Amino acid sequence: MRRQSAPRKAVFIAGAALLAVAACAVAACAVGVGGPGYDGGVGYVGGYYEPWGYDYGGWGGRYRVGPPRGGFGHDGGRRADGGRPTGGGHPTGGGRGAPSIPGRPRR
Amino acid sequence: MRPLRKGRRRRALLSAAALVAALIAALPFAAWPTRATAAARSELPAIADASSVEHHPGKVIWADLITPDLAAAKRFYGALFGWTFRDLSIGNSDYAVATLGGHPVAGILEKSIPPNEHRQPAWLTFIAVRNLEQARSAARSQGAKILAPPKTYADRGAQAVFSDPQGAVFAALASTSGDGPDYLAAPGEWIWSSLLTEDPSRSAAFYKSVFGYEVFDLPSDDGAQHVILAADDYARAGIHSLPPGHRHPHWIGFVRVADASRSAAQAVALGGRILVEPHEDRHGGQVAVVADPAGAPIGLMEWSDQYTEDQAELK
Repeated sequence: MRRQSAPRKAVFIAGAALLAVAACAVAACAVGVGGPGYDGGVGYVGGYYEPWGYDYGGWGGRYRVGPPRGGFGHDGGRRADGGRPTGGGHPTGGGRGAPSIPGRPRR
Repeated sequence: MRPLRKGRRRRALLSAAALVAALIAALPFAAWPTRATAAARSELPAIADASSVEHHPGKVIWADLITPDLAAAKRFYGALFGWTFRDLSIGNSDYAVATLGGHPVAGILEKSIPPNEHRQPAWLTFIAVRNLEQARSAARSQGAKILAPPKTYADRGAQAVFSDPQGAVFAALASTSGDGPDYLAAPGEWIWSSLLTEDPSRSAAFYKSVFGYEVFDLPSDDGAQHVILAADDYARAGIHSLPPGHRHPHWIGFVRVADASRSAAQAVALGGRILVEPHEDRHGGQVAVVADPAGAPIGLMEWSDQYTEDQAELK
């Protein structure tokens, strides 16, 4: 009896060990979905909602928030510090008008 | 017979063990598609098409709506702007990416408002940065508060949420997929962003120091101050005085529409309300502000292609 049960015991131990390893692997798959540092949610939500019921109205025609159309012919404005522009597009010297929004259509 | 039976039993045991081992070994592979699907559904996605990785610090590149009713928001914005939605699950929250013409335009996150808190849903404006850590340091040194510390999402990038020195809330994002190319917004896309605040000069100095903008003063005949923040030789956002009696500095985004009056009326029919009546703005088109059914304000703005042709002639 002893000679028969030894290999049988070894097989069961090996099977149990494999089962344990596989269980760990499956658990890791389930837990590791978000990757390192992922806390399971979008962290910025907590403090974000605005105060309730602030009054948005009351501007009437004074609500003028649109972008300039660009260039000197319109209401292009001037650089606030009067200095040379530092933008990458058109170094046209000090006092140029405010640029407009991008105008190239999407291809 | 006995040795034969012993051998059979051993072989049977070994076969069974081998079968169990093979099944166990195959488990991770069998689970792989599920795992891949779960990962795709659990990460904030890229904000730009991966085809062109351009970086434009200072550009407003994204907006997330935080709302208690995702389904209602999808119905409203889908009908108003023609957005379609891709649903995701972010942790315990539901999130939808709004797309237009196949391009991602915005995100909507469902988050319930605790019953003891009286809060208002709003859109959160994301401004592009190259280096989030540098932006965080600059913002802090200039008096901003950090509402959410820097956090990295594999596909979207690193982001943090701030309240500027006057209390307006915004986010900075170092996008993994770039900031998207500069082009004229199509109807249904974000075309403009404005900050309304008590002291535009002070706000302009803050945003210039954090994002490196050029600052332009616009002429004013209404007693209010109007400032343009520019980068890459494009106007990126405006800063405008809050009218007397208003004490709530805030960012607001504008979606391009063909007819602001018609869109405002449609917003009302969809359960929203008008906060600022349609009227002509400095650029010659109409603007309006509406609130969605949960109360989040959003701007509507007309923009004629003719303006762009004028602009090209002037240059």
